[in-house]
Amino acid sequence: MSLVGRNALIALLITIALVATVVYAISYLNRQRVAALSAIEDQLSIDTLSLDTEFSLLEAAPCDQSADGIGLTRELSDLGDRLSYAEEQLGSDNAQVIRLKQQYSLLEIRDYLITKKIATACGTKPVTVLYFYSNNGDCADCDKAGYALSYFRSTYPTLRVYSFDYHLSLGALQTLIDVTKVKGDRLPAFIINGTTSYGFTSLADLEKKFPKGALPAVTATSTRP
Amino acid sequence: MNAEILVYPFLFVTIFFEAFVLVTFLSAPARGARARQAARVEDPALPTVAIIVPCLNEGETVAATTNSLLALEYPKDKLEIILVDNGSTDDTPTIMARYAGNGQVTILREEIRGKHNAVNTGIASTSADLIGCLDADSFVEPDALLEVIPSFRDESVGATTAAMSVHRPGNLLQHMQNAEYIFGITLRHVLSSVNGIYVTPGPFSLYRRKVVLALGGFREGHKTEDLEMALRLQKAGYWIENAPRARVYTKAPRTVPALLKQRTRWTTGFMRNVSNEYRGLVGNRRYGALGMIVLPIGFLAIASGILLFIVAIFQVVRHALVAYQLRSGIPLAYAWLPHSGTFDWFYLPSSLYILLGITTVAGSLTMITVGKRLSKTPGNLIYGLFAYLFLYGLLAPLWLMRATTDVALGKKRLWR
Repeated sequence: MSLVGRNALIALLITIALVATVVYAISYLNRQRVAALSAIEDQLSIDTLSLDTEFSLLEAAPCDQSADGIGLTRELSDLGDRLSYAEEQLGSDNAQVIRLKQQYSLLEIRDYLITKKIATACGTKPVTVLYFYSNNGDCADCDKAGYALSYFRSTYPTLRVYSFDYHLSLGALQTLIDVTKVKGDRLPAFIINGTTSYGFTSLADLEKKFPKGALPAVTATSTRP
Repeated sequence: MNAEILVYPFLFVTIFFEAFVLVTFLSAPARGARARQAARVEDPALPTVAIIVPCLNEGETVAATTNSLLALEYPKDKLEIILVDNGSTDDTPTIMARYAGNGQVTILREEIRGKHNAVNTGIASTSADLIGCLDADSFVEPDALLEVIPSFRDESVGATTAAMSVHRPGNLLQHMQNAEYIFGITLRHVLSSVNGIYVTPGPFSLYRRKVVLALGGFREGHKTEDLEMALRLQKAGYWIENAPRARVYTKAPRTVPALLKQRTRWTTGFMRNVSNEYRGLVGNRRYGALGMIVLPIGFLAIASGILLFIVAIFQVVRHALVAYQLRSGIPLAYAWLPHSGTFDWFYLPSSLYILLGITTVAGSLTMITVGKRLSKTPGNLIYGLFAYLFLYGLLAPLWLMRATTDVALGKKRLWR
């Protein structure tokens, strides 16, 4: 074989090896992402259960404890950002992503229920937003609505936003949809402290739906939770 | 369809070519070329050399060019400098006349415009063993000729190229070209070891005179007479060598329009020569690396330069529109400022498109660094690498698109 032929063959093998390495590295990184998400979810699951148990143990005087679950909600929010990024990378039809989203939605529902229990028992007035979106291409304003809610979360740290993929196959989520009577053909949908509204027009319009004076704004130095 | 998919084949070929350059760089012929010692000035067997300087309105630089040639370390009785005025309308003839009394310098005038005519006039006036060309805006290092001579030991060698870089790069555009020229030093060194060189540039390429005469002298060659001559040498079966330490510095365009004009001429010259007179070389195994790798990839590089640019513009505009729509109505401080200053591996970009792109850029930057070391070119490359990284990808597609359009429409442009 000529020198050129030999070198071209070696170069081809190097190229294939390099591309294969890059593909493997991407796959490895994505696997690590899923593992990281899984670990966070496991921890959150324990935290949620712990808070729930703590609440039951202190049923007589639940408000004596300072735990209001807000830290948990923030962690949930961070997990949501990461899950959203992983979904972008792996695709919304990826089996692992779907499984993680199911777990995440379950955690959100549990956190929402605990928040409501604490509010009832202690007389606190948290502002909760149940946000329903769709990734099936049938919700033109969902991305904008999601981004606007991220902004509100950053501006009002006590705001509790729970995002749900309307079409996710999960019994508890389906029950929540049934209970709240959210319609899937008018997404995005928001349930703010029990009041349902549909569609996203502007940041200001959405903000008007929050209870007046219930949300203290973050100081200038704070960053996105 | 995702536009990125179109880019993958080009990225694959680019990585393949860079890998080929790397492997060939490490092969025995290239190692041998690097180990080649310069000739000694006292060697009685040194061949006679004539350097031809074709000039058309080069009043600003011709004196410095001539002086750099007169400073070459070479026996004076074996080195002739031929200044050929090609119908200048500035003070070039007056400046040339100052050298009339110098025994080494011959001054000629060729009324018929065209660089090839000027060079042929110079060739006709000499009987030197080797003839060299030096554009009148270029300057040589004193030892450059001694570095070139040993590459002519083999009789099959018809020409040798030097190691070009930019003379005193001033602005960012010139620094970018400097990095690109130094990239070319590595490329030419490697390709010469497998006889894959397709152009013998104007700045200080040397030829065996009898070979050039046998081939009929220089031709217009679609305004790229150096490229045409190199292809003719290849077609005739000659070897084109390279002397990586024969440093020559050339003036580079200072403005974008001037650069576009120059590069459009080079690119159209390549496309017209290779797709017409020298079409038989492309894909022809007889011409080894040149026919099977260099010329086909040359065409592919033009196509990929244009395609990558269009895809990049399309993607940037698409993402910008989506980002704008998403952030519309959101306060600027939140929408356009980063939310966290801390590093988080979780959000590292992991798209195949981006990572393969980074690989090809890293390959190019490595070749530039190797070129500088190999040729021992002086100067700081930091600005050059920076400019090459951020400017080249934006500018090159402009001349590639203009050249492709010119070739498709049969449009001819003036040299300057």
